[in-house]
Amino acid sequence: MSLISALANVHTTGQFGDYKSKDVNDLLKISEIKNLLIVQIVQYKNSSVLFDSIDIDGLKLKNEPLTVVFNETTRIMWNGPKNWLLISTKKNLLKNILDNFKETDFAVTDISHSRAIIEIEGKDTIEVLKKGCPFNFDTLRKNNSINSTYNGIAFTVDKLNENPNKVRLFALRSFGESLYHSITDASLEFGFESI
Amino acid sequence: MLYINCPHCGMRSQNEFSYGGDASVKRPELNKEVSDQEWDNFVYNRKSLRGKHLELWQHISGCRQWIKIERDTATHEIFRTFKADEEVA
Repeated sequence: MSLISALANVHTTGQFGDYKSKDVNDLLKISEIKNLLIVQIVQYKNSSVLFDSIDIDGLKLKNEPLTVVFNETTRIMWNGPKNWLLISTKKNLLKNILDNFKETDFAVTDISHSRAIIEIEGKDTIEVLKKGCPFNFDTLRKNNSINSTYNGIAFTVDKLNENPNKVRLFALRSFGESLYHSITDASLEFGFESI
Repeated sequence: MLYINCPHCGMRSQNEFSYGGDASVKRPELNKEVSDQEWDNFVYNRKSLRGKHLELWQHISGCRQWIKIERDTATHEIFRTFKADEEVA
């Protein structure tokens, strides 16, 4: 089966906006990230199982706001109390997760097909986010993640790096194109390279 | 714009929240005879106070949790926020 990525109809490569007379290295880089395993893990309210002993790809869940636990292939973002979003390039990790989390205590859902992911890199990344999101991004550190809204679209921000800033934005697949248009519109004034 | 200190996530914009009604309303006890008046009071009748008010909000674009907020309905000042299961003194 061939897969059609969430942004296949809108994401075109090239340089856009105010890119002329600017160094290519200074431009924002916007790309679509695809073929990741995305799993939502939620512990039921009435479950008292300790989750910090459960190992996923060498990582342990942390029930701390903003926290992302990560290694080279996998990132687990805190999405709410006892609620996490796991992102991994290891597609076969799902079986390991399903084996480790008992279905009487955890709801594990593969939502790989239902998210659009946009990655933005460059020094003006945070300026682009500030244009549509009410969150105070000065407080967001490297390897933090938040849920918020961008021009009214619910999205998740995962901050991968600082200097230069690099973030991944996750939105529901059906809102992906709208979010992409919002992000690229906001990026025009800085000039961006779509890759 | 209001800023609400979510007890789970921290200080966030009101845009991320959704109002959920009066948090001081108590459901009549289960398995007890309930009069029409008591049920009316639970379902419909609200005091609509001017001043300090305890409200339910949901952090719908954040952690998706229900929380309680003590807010002044006249000035919009927010005094305290609580987790949904926290008792308010």
